[in-house]
Amino acid sequence: MKRVAYLSAVLAVLVFSGCSTKEPAIDATANGSVSGNGSNTNGQTSATDGSAVIAPVTNASSVDNGAANGSGNAVNAQIVNVYFDYDKFDIREDMMASVKGNAALLKNKTFKLEGNCDEFGSDEYNFALGLKRANAVKTALVDNGANADSISMVSLGEGNPACTEKTQECWAKNRRVEVKLP
Amino acid sequence: MRYLMILFFISTLWGADTTLEVTKNVGMLPRLAIEDGSSVANDTGSRFHKMLSADMNVVSLFNVDDRYAGQSFDNPQAAGIHKDAVYILRYRLVADGSGGYRTDVKLFQNSLELFSKIYYLKQSEMLVFLAHSIAYDINAKMGGGSLEWMKRKVLFVRLSGPRRSDIVAADYTLSYQKVVLSGGMYGFAKWANREQTDFYYTSLSDYHPTIYKVNLATANKAAIVSSDGMAVCSDVSEDGNRLLLTLAPSGQPDIYLYDVRTKNKTRLTDYTGIDVSGQFMGEDRIAFVSNRMGSPNIFSKKIGESAINQVVFEGKNNSTCSAYRNMLVYKAREGSTAGGSAFNLHLISLHNSTIRRLTSSGDNDYPRFSHDGEAVLHIKHEGSHSMVGIIRLGVNKSFSFPLHIGRMQSIDW
Repeated sequence: MKRVAYLSAVLAVLVFSGCSTKEPAIDATANGSVSGNGSNTNGQTSATDGSAVIAPVTNASSVDNGAANGSGNAVNAQIVNVYFDYDKFDIREDMMASVKGNAALLKNKTFKLEGNCDEFGSDEYNFALGLKRANAVKTALVDNGANADSISMVSLGEGNPACTEKTQECWAKNRRVEVKLP
Repeated sequence: MRYLMILFFISTLWGADTTLEVTKNVGMLPRLAIEDGSSVANDTGSRFHKMLSADMNVVSLFNVDDRYAGQSFDNPQAAGIHKDAVYILRYRLVADGSGGYRTDVKLFQNSLELFSKIYYLKQSEMLVFLAHSIAYDINAKMGGGSLEWMKRKVLFVRLSGPRRSDIVAADYTLSYQKVVLSGGMYGFAKWANREQTDFYYTSLSDYHPTIYKVNLATANKAAIVSSDGMAVCSDVSEDGNRLLLTLAPSGQPDIYLYDVRTKNKTRLTDYTGIDVSGQFMGEDRIAFVSNRMGSPNIFSKKIGESAINQVVFEGKNNSTCSAYRNMLVYKAREGSTAGGSAFNLHLISLHNSTIRRLTSSGDNDYPRFSHDGEAVLHIKHEGSHSMVGIIRLGVNKSFSFPLHIGRMQSIDW
């Protein structure tokens, strides 16, 4: 608890102080009071020579003011998510009706597909998996009349979970593609 | 002397083949005690004692007695409770009146002075880096294996909520943490150079994946490349002039080589499935993850040539890797745990294909070799929390440090 309090205090100082110095944080020099500069690990006399400098991590703390607020746009209530099996990006049989229903609603509209994943697998592979899922939905929508040029895609990996519980049902809810209308 | 000979023997073998397993008995190590020689005992002194004790444990050359005791700085004799210690590491913190400390350090071996050094810490919040510097110097003095990584900053992305994340610079123990970017959705933060003055990251804040480069001193950022679908900086060459990116301009994730100076990019893979996580293996070869055999596994290819070789023939769902010369660390899925699947890290020697398991349980991810190949940094997930894991290959020891808030998405050092 004490450690947590300390860390919080350090963080608060760092975030709000905006330390301004650009000087090295640590400047180490050898003490010349002991003779010798060898590397005798058994000996009794040698000092350490050389010096070391560690620069501050940063003096600039950046807030991304241009960031989107993440709330997304209102999605037509009739459009549904498309769900996928573990480590798969092919559209399941039971999801085809949803895809066709979405295609009818999205005809002549510009929209974005967001691919999402559960928390398993490495994150870069997961991002690619999310993208392949979005791409599979795009292909199916185009096959059902949507305009390919009106569709953009993004993978959010595991960064936008719909559910955070540690259950099979929850992980299945996260393996999805969402449609976002402007 | 016997211990030094063992160390020499280990380091010789290590150079020949790093997959050799070496286990040392901590009881055989000489006892080291750490003592506070400051004129006034206070919280800073005792807190620093804990930091230095933790670091000296990671050094792995001593059996560290972590009991706190004060003793006159120049006294060659140990404090009463440390009478059985062979080595005494003593420090004296003196506040400089402007937010920093002058720190005197001495190492005694059987009451004889072996090492002495003065450190000037100008930002007291970076106290843990002072401990790292001292541990590094003591290790070097004693002839231990490389600990260059200990003084480096760790950079990680912390998921703080749906569509929310921060980029954080920290020390390897996470005692020091500084948020360097916040307010949006980010991923895959990676140092842009050895000096750690700049870093790359992916921004998803406007839902158009874009890789940016940020200078830490000025906070200036520049867009490097965008791609519909995904854009990730997977690796940076040793000289910082070349990047391996994963881009998907047509919805197809492939690996690209990007020249930082000319801004030219060259597509290195062309497969209808998934190719990601390119890692430099020397100057002209890369390792990467592909599902071209049905599930993710590790492959390699020479830059400029089309032939692709499978590198790993063991494990399943081998979905991430890190390369260093003839060594490769990869992650494999191994059975299930109560909280989900178990993912362990494995080290493979590309000379003889021998494999050494580096972790035994849990969800281990995102391995990253240190620049000298002596250690592997990784993320260990436990429930909704994450830990920083350090595996010291040369001494066959691992250490972990918890992140108390959020979940780590990526890590680099």
